[in-house]
Amino acid sequence: MKFHGYIGNIFWLAVGFSVSFIAYKRLGFGTFQEPGSGFIFILTGSLLIILSLIDLLEAFLKKVEHKAPIWSALRWQKVILVLIGLSLYILFYNLMGFTFSSFFLMLFLFKMVEPTRWWIAIAISLIIILASHVIFGLWLKIHFPKGLLGI
Amino acid sequence: MDILHNVFYGFSIVLEPINILYCFIGVLIGTLVGVLPGIGPTATISLLLPITFKVTPVSAMIMLAGIYYGSQYGGSTTSILVNIPGEASSVITCLDGYQMARKGRAGPALGISAFGSFIGGTLAVVGLMLIAPPLASISLKFGPPEFFSLMCLGLTLLAYLASGSLVRAFMMGAFGIIIGCIGQDPFTGLPRFTFGVPDLLDGVGLVPIVMGLFGISEVFLNIEKGSGERKIFETKIKGLLPNLQDWKDSFKPILRGTFLGFSLGIIPGGGPTIASFTSYALEKKFSKHPEKFGAGAIEGVAGPETANNAASGGAFIPLLTLGIPPNVVMAVFLGALMICGVTPGPLLIQKNPDIFWGVVVSMYVGNVMLVILNLPLIGLWVQVLKIPYRILFPLILFFCLIGAYSLNNSTFDLGIMLLFGVLGYLMRKYHYEGAPFMLAYVVGPMLEFSLRQSLLMSEGSFFIFFYRPIACGAMILIFLVLISSLFPVIKKKRKAISMEEEKT
Repeated sequence: MKFHGYIGNIFWLAVGFSVSFIAYKRLGFGTFQEPGSGFIFILTGSLLIILSLIDLLEAFLKKVEHKAPIWSALRWQKVILVLIGLSLYILFYNLMGFTFSSFFLMLFLFKMVEPTRWWIAIAISLIIILASHVIFGLWLKIHFPKGLLGI
Repeated sequence: MDILHNVFYGFSIVLEPINILYCFIGVLIGTLVGVLPGIGPTATISLLLPITFKVTPVSAMIMLAGIYYGSQYGGSTTSILVNIPGEASSVITCLDGYQMARKGRAGPALGISAFGSFIGGTLAVVGLMLIAPPLASISLKFGPPEFFSLMCLGLTLLAYLASGSLVRAFMMGAFGIIIGCIGQDPFTGLPRFTFGVPDLLDGVGLVPIVMGLFGISEVFLNIEKGSGERKIFETKIKGLLPNLQDWKDSFKPILRGTFLGFSLGIIPGGGPTIASFTSYALEKKFSKHPEKFGAGAIEGVAGPETANNAASGGAFIPLLTLGIPPNVVMAVFLGALMICGVTPGPLLIQKNPDIFWGVVVSMYVGNVMLVILNLPLIGLWVQVLKIPYRILFPLILFFCLIGAYSLNNSTFDLGIMLLFGVLGYLMRKYHYEGAPFMLAYVVGPMLEFSLRQSLLMSEGSFFIFFYRPIACGAMILIFLVLISSLFPVIKKKRKAISMEEEKT
């Protein structure tokens, strides 16, 4: 548990440092009389550094409490699977077009995470895509990409 | 007399058939997302933001407001019947509402929850009407130092009221400001942290962040836990109207809940969730039979359900009068108003009276619709609850993707949404709060602007925040809030609340 606490703090510490450094180098602090473009980033980045250090110190000094496990006994592999599916969807969205890519994404989600019957998966996917075309495409005039197949 | 005139003006707007229709759609969708665990009003309002391009700003705002207060109604249904809160603000209703259902009193529990919500919601609208116009006139005199101090106070209160570590809540606030300020410098036009990406020149979009942080991350957490099938309390729900004894027991909790909820709704960070928790604690303290709480006491349903609805009405005050959103949903609302070309703040009532009075009066109409909708349609909502999560989550993900894409027709936004989905998922696992981040992200650019303007005015002196009475008052309050969090009693209380929320 303590180790996990450290990871979070180190991450935010790195974010604070990077933001402050980049803002100072590229944007400049300016002066208090005339604050520069990087002024707010340097202030908040420094605040993030200070707070991360305080939290790190707290985590270091605190007694180890027995808390629920963060990763074990949970199905985080399923989350990774969904994440991969969503990433591929975004990657091929313009190329394959809205209709095709959305249909395959829906099927993937229905079948891979918690298997659903094929006919239910196909029927719901088709209905939802059709409904989104009507509501978002026709009514709200959102331009969905048609992809290589032009659908 | 002015108020009466304005109310009639509001009614003349709301009673236009098209606005009645949008109000109805809003409360219907609101109730639906309130009933369904896994998608909340924040993500739903974001998803429907494109509607603001299609209809008039008044109609759009009436609908989006309906989603917000409608979700508070719907959330109680799942708490009472399934012991699963549809919304965070209905968590506490599970304790007594579900016990009432187990004792065969699901009907009165749902009934008092609907009536309490109606009374709380309606009285909050009256409060909103009375307080907002004078507050807006006062705030016309505010300058950059006042706005800066008030925004800092809002962020401090939100971090203070957030569950878990105060330090981490402030860390999220700082990170929110950083993300919110990405884009062009408002003073010089210089691109900041855009790394040559043109999509970032206007900043990181609100909708992809909201969808990622509150929609995608929630789905990830639910998938990880495994949904299981929800067990709905199989009983015939009869006698929705509470009896005389129920009314006697609930009358005072409803009044107290209204006042408490409304007041907490105005305070940044307060909102419906804190209001319902506080109301429950208050009712338990006031009760002659505190031992009945947790075993099916109707006061434990009436108070919190009234309070969360009154809070959603009160939350509109700081947004519409000062332009400062007190919670995440109002932050999204601010985004919606901006898209319509309306700047929320002191001038809103003068410049856009149709939006202000239209939205306010629509809440009366919406509350009536909700009572009509909730009581007879409970059977339908129960059926909705039976939809398994394995069917529901692909739909939630799909609508999040459409919502994130639709505002700018950009796949870049989809990437941002996914990134914040992962970040939100990790943040929740490691106990970092999303709400302070979100609010800081929204007020970040305004905060930077007013800070830099204040420093220009004072020629670099931070004493400008202490010379002016309102700014100084806010700074003193910030100081007191921070100092009070160091007291062991308050530290203990915060830890206890955080553990309680984790359990639920």
